[in-house]
Amino acid sequence: MAKLSLMFQDKIVKEVPVGSRPIGIGRSPDNDLPVDNLAVSNYHARVYFEGGRLVVEDLDSLNGTFVNDLRVERATLHDGDSIHIGKHRIKVDATGDAPVPWDSGRKAAAPRINETMVLDTKERREMLQQAAASGERTQFAAGRMKVPTLIVLNGRTDQKEYMLTSKLTVIGKSAMATVRLKGWFKPHMAAQINQRDDGFYIGPGDKVPTVNGSPIQGPVRLKDGDVIEVGGVRLNFIFRE
Amino acid sequence: MEIVSGGVSDVGRLRSNNEDCFRIVAPLQLFVLSDGMGGEAHGEVASAMAVETVTKHCLEGQENHAAPLFGEPQAGLNDHTRRLASAVHLANKKIFDSAEGHPEQRGMGATLTAAWIDGTKLSIAHVGDSRAYLVRSGTLQQLTSDHSLVAEQVRRGIITAVEAEESQMQSVLIRALGAQADVEVDAEEHTLFVRDILILCSDGLTRMVTEPEIAGALQAETNPTRAAEKLVALANEYGGADNVTVIVVRLEPGSRGWFSWLRRGARKNAASNGSAGGKLDG
Repeated sequence: MAKLSLMFQDKIVKEVPVGSRPIGIGRSPDNDLPVDNLAVSNYHARVYFEGGRLVVEDLDSLNGTFVNDLRVERATLHDGDSIHIGKHRIKVDATGDAPVPWDSGRKAAAPRINETMVLDTKERREMLQQAAASGERTQFAAGRMKVPTLIVLNGRTDQKEYMLTSKLTVIGKSAMATVRLKGWFKPHMAAQINQRDDGFYIGPGDKVPTVNGSPIQGPVRLKDGDVIEVGGVRLNFIFRE
Repeated sequence: MEIVSGGVSDVGRLRSNNEDCFRIVAPLQLFVLSDGMGGEAHGEVASAMAVETVTKHCLEGQENHAAPLFGEPQAGLNDHTRRLASAVHLANKKIFDSAEGHPEQRGMGATLTAAWIDGTKLSIAHVGDSRAYLVRSGTLQQLTSDHSLVAEQVRRGIITAVEAEESQMQSVLIRALGAQADVEVDAEEHTLFVRDILILCSDGLTRMVTEPEIAGALQAETNPTRAAEKLVALANEYGGADNVTVIVVRLEPGSRGWFSWLRRGARKNAASNGSAGGKLDG
């Protein structure tokens, strides 16, 4: 199993294995990997598996997260990489298998409030604010709406760019596709993009699309800047301010 | 395109009553599902009222296109989608008014997810945490957003989808029918493709059975009623903590006409090419 080793002046302070749950890193003691240093934000960064690869994500920390001395917002981690947070170093051991992805196998039975209840507007606002304050990582601040957009880099399509406004966007030659491919022998329904709560997922259609050069295996969450190739077109997925 | 459908509702293994309700109106290709909430038997009252109101309003709309619409009409939607959204607004009002008039019904509410197919156009109207999915090319595509606190937290980036699945707050809704005098209704349209499979389900399914398992079961069983039964059985096998309701709608290639015959022939060829490739491997 992959593991993270928190180092301070070349001594291992703590080691944590990386499983299917994200590893929270920060000054607050409720992190999986607490780092006691004033230069570290309460909830500074987290490390998790995505599509079988280990990823570090900075949670809008004040002093930043560095991978091999480069400041990153999000980066894929490789075996032997070093994450610098404040004066601490976290050594990445990415050998061993990725954990079973969250959506395969049986769901864990979660303890829960049994009866369904509805919040009124005021309660809803309060609970969301509380959650946002304790989480310290609201990505979508009010007034900073980002529009998910596909920009055509190469290939023949009916438009040069598309805003993804629907739950389901179809890329293909079909007259019913949102992103319409032009030309002979184009796939009818090449690929599809599904808007989920946590982002946009591209899935196969008649073809298997590639994202940043690698063919997808099942639905993959798109990240800002990803390049999709399918049915002879190249598309750039971006969040436009 | 030929549409075949079936649905099943089950009390589950822990509850004593079934507060879910569904209806399939085959002549209209209208599918309505609701999950009720509220003490005593009021959840059942609310979900039945929701399904009844939506069905009736759509039937009326079919007979008389000028029948009044409820709620703010959304721009750019077709008649069916507008009618469906209007029906959900009306259902909200009926449940809310009933609860206002009967103190013992206070707190009664319901989710509602409805689908209406007109040719290749699919209209969806939705409030709450029941869901609509489309299985296309083997992948489950979610057509609705849960109006739950945890889903809203995920949308705002406060928690991850995994944390949401493990949260104790999953039953807390931020939108439901009957909670307030008016409700915001999600309404959207999609284009259907031949061999798409549409499912509507209550959270009793999605909290127990994973999406790959749902997609797998739907592809393995071509009879829609049996597929729905199989999904309900899976939810019960995994604990059946809540009522489970599933509607399965399959869009099959039409069996008549030379064009479909030709296409079927082409597909047969494609299939035999595929197996020839397999033989080479073996």
